Amino acid sequence: MRRLLLFSAVVVATCGRAAAQGLEPAALLNPSADSWPTYHGDYTGQRHSPLMQITPANVARLTLAWAFQTGQGASIKATPILVNGILYVSVPDQLWAIDARSARQIWHYRYPENAGFHIGHRGVAVYKDTVYLTTPDAHLVALDARNGSMRWNVEIADAKKGYWSTNAPLLVRNHLLVGVAGDFDNLPGILTSIDPETGKTQWVFHSTPPPGAPGSPSGGATGGQMWMTGTYDPQLDLVYVGTGNPTPVLNGSARPGDNPWTCSIVAIHPETGRLEWGFQATPHDTHDWDAAEVPVLVDGVVDGVPRKLLLQASRNGYFFVLDRANGTSVKTLPFAAANWAAGIDKAGRPVPNPAKEPARDGRLVAPNEAGGTNYRSPSFDPATGLFIVSAQDSYGIYFYKPEHGDYGWAGADHNVFGRAFLRAIDYRTGEFRWTHDLGDGGAPAGVLTTASGLTFSGDASGNALALRTSDGATLWHSSIGVVGNSPITYQLDGRQYVVVASGGVLFGFALPEGQ
Amino acid sequence: MSAPWLLVLYIYAQGGPAQGAAPPGQAVFASRCGFCHGRDAAGGEGGPDLTVSALVAADVNGDRLTAVIRDGRVDKGMPAFGSLGASDLSAVVAFIHDQKKKAETQPGRRRSVDLADLLTGNVEAGRAYFDGAGGCARCHKPDGDLAGVASRLRGLALMQRLLNPGANRGQKPNPATVTVTVPTGERITGQLAHRDEFTIAMIDPSGWYRSWPATAVRFTVDDPLDAHRAQLAKYTDADLHDVLSYLQTLK
Repeated sequence: MRRLLLFSAVVVATCGRAAAQGLEPAALLNPSADSWPTYHGDYTGQRHSPLMQITPANVARLTLAWAFQTGQGASIKATPILVNGILYVSVPDQLWAIDARSARQIWHYRYPENAGFHIGHRGVAVYKDTVYLTTPDAHLVALDARNGSMRWNVEIADAKKGYWSTNAPLLVRNHLLVGVAGDFDNLPGILTSIDPETGKTQWVFHSTPPPGAPGSPSGGATGGQMWMTGTYDPQLDLVYVGTGNPTPVLNGSARPGDNPWTCSIVAIHPETGRLEWGFQATPHDTHDWDAAEVPVLVDGVVDGVPRKLLLQASRNGYFFVLDRANGTSVKTLPFAAANWAAGIDKAGRPVPNPAKEPARDGRLVAPNEAGGTNYRSPSFDPATGLFIVSAQDSYGIYFYKPEHGDYGWAGADHNVFGRAFLRAIDYRTGEFRWTHDLGDGGAPAGVLTTASGLTFSGDASGNALALRTSDGATLWHSSIGVVGNSPITYQLDGRQYVVVASGGVLFGFALPEGQ
Repeated sequence: MSAPWLLVLYIYAQGGPAQGAAPPGQAVFASRCGFCHGRDAAGGEGGPDLTVSALVAADVNGDRLTAVIRDGRVDKGMPAFGSLGASDLSAVVAFIHDQKKKAETQPGRRRSVDLADLLTGNVEAGRAYFDGAGGCARCHKPDGDLAGVASRLRGLALMQRLLNPGANRGQKPNPATVTVTVPTGERITGQLAHRDEFTIAMIDPSGWYRSWPATAVRFTVDDPLDAHRAQLAKYTDADLHDVLSYLQTLK
């Protein structure tokens, strides 16, 4: 049924090409195969494509179709967004619109110089004929998708207080959900819904309350920033977003208790911003383990019962399977080295071992600050039931003493060692079906699967990889440099492209022409 | 025109009230370096505290820092900032040195780790761990390779070195070796230069880099640091501090 719908969507999109149009929000419910219209490709966050042209049998012949040189130093960490045959790719302050068939530049937008953190950028959002770019100084800029001219520019949060944004906004109907970051100051966690037509704020959801808010459950914690793009279930009409670590970051004594809703997955009503439920991946985090990783939505079967599930491989090293209607735990198990929990509580939450909190003389903790995984996307392959994640077994040393204070970082930590693996987890049993070694250090590539049975990612040594999804065997590689973003795929004019970034260059791979 | 009005004009000419009084280099440092190294250069997400960095201490007017900022340390996760112009680069260097001076006059505010913080272990228990359960004595001798180690490294640097000797800026006192058997049957042993799924590479005994497709040859790697990495999952925090306290006596 899904294939049929997608097929008809392809036909409609192909016929409609003569009069190119913008992106209607409803198109996100069934994205066409000639688009990648939102950060995760669709609302589920599965980063799984129905495309079948590139297969395990022919992927060895995959070759470079084009490369786009941004010609500047910042690495591309963003997912390119594809609408109407135009790829939109971003780094902090900059956005390029390029031809998805040839990588020819159509336009380039540069945001004015500013003092915000230029740490990375995740991607843009598109609504009708407008493209939206978040900025290092926590603004949202609306640009004409056809030519890059500015329509409006609104402030999402006050950069002078320490907010910045790398966020790829999530569009649900006429709500553009924009997240921010801000770990170096004690700032309330906010997710802002913006009217995509006017730039006006519709609502603000607080993961942690503003100072002085009555009845705060957060125990004095601020933080819990929602800097990653969420996912959405249209039937339940709920948006799922991972929240970041509490602040002060490493000093837990300044904020007793569990500190909800930091390091959590929250389910929010897109119309109002009201919280439906929250689940804490790390109660009382003291290691900077944001639970911002993608909450992947899967309609699956567990113990013979059909369930509406949410899967997350979290930065703290644990893999969570939740019932996404009510946030209750189905399964919790480690997917990467983790030595910080004393056990799992009845609600499915790991219980922090106080002996592993940062201390004056240092604590050796797995994972390190970068985590068992980080923001680059995992992928879910429905045919095999495998959740495939770029994981890291890692150790760090964590320090805190009262002299470090209770503002911002409030401690010190140092990486010791990490080794990267691609791990394929069967969500029904929690077992690793296969593990693929990616080398020493973290491998920063995300993961894409396709219905033909392929998994695309990258290793820590600078190879883009295509593996067989069923067993993790390597079928193709290209030494383009370390892949720094999450791969996408699309099909235009009958040719399937797989697109990854390394450094400041975007690479489009396809089968040789005429085959 | 009144004096306050002139002041306002002056501040605007400098780029707005927030930046009016900022030292040169601060804005560039904050936006490009601040996420990893902290806005005050005293450490942030992933990046070290530059106010206690040995490289910063050794730097004179950017003679060492400039190249590191411009070219990065890509293998350690620091990107290159080749797009910064000469004036931005020197302003950033000056800002880092200013922050170092500031931090040294305000010790309580530093997010650094002091030697005295770390010496909570038991020297005798550390010696026992070294000789016994830790397995350290299999490769190391306190009166041999480790003689005087506490004079060369102390505190956090020594702790990091004992946990993962390979992590310190490419200093690999005991590099991995690889022995490759090529299709003709010839065996070549050299210093491991690179290993991934597809390529095996060495610096051969004559000093040349040589590489082979990993599937075309047979090879064995001997990495003396494997024992350090395997130990990470075995240490208790008490073991770690005991052995550190013991090593700190090897002056």
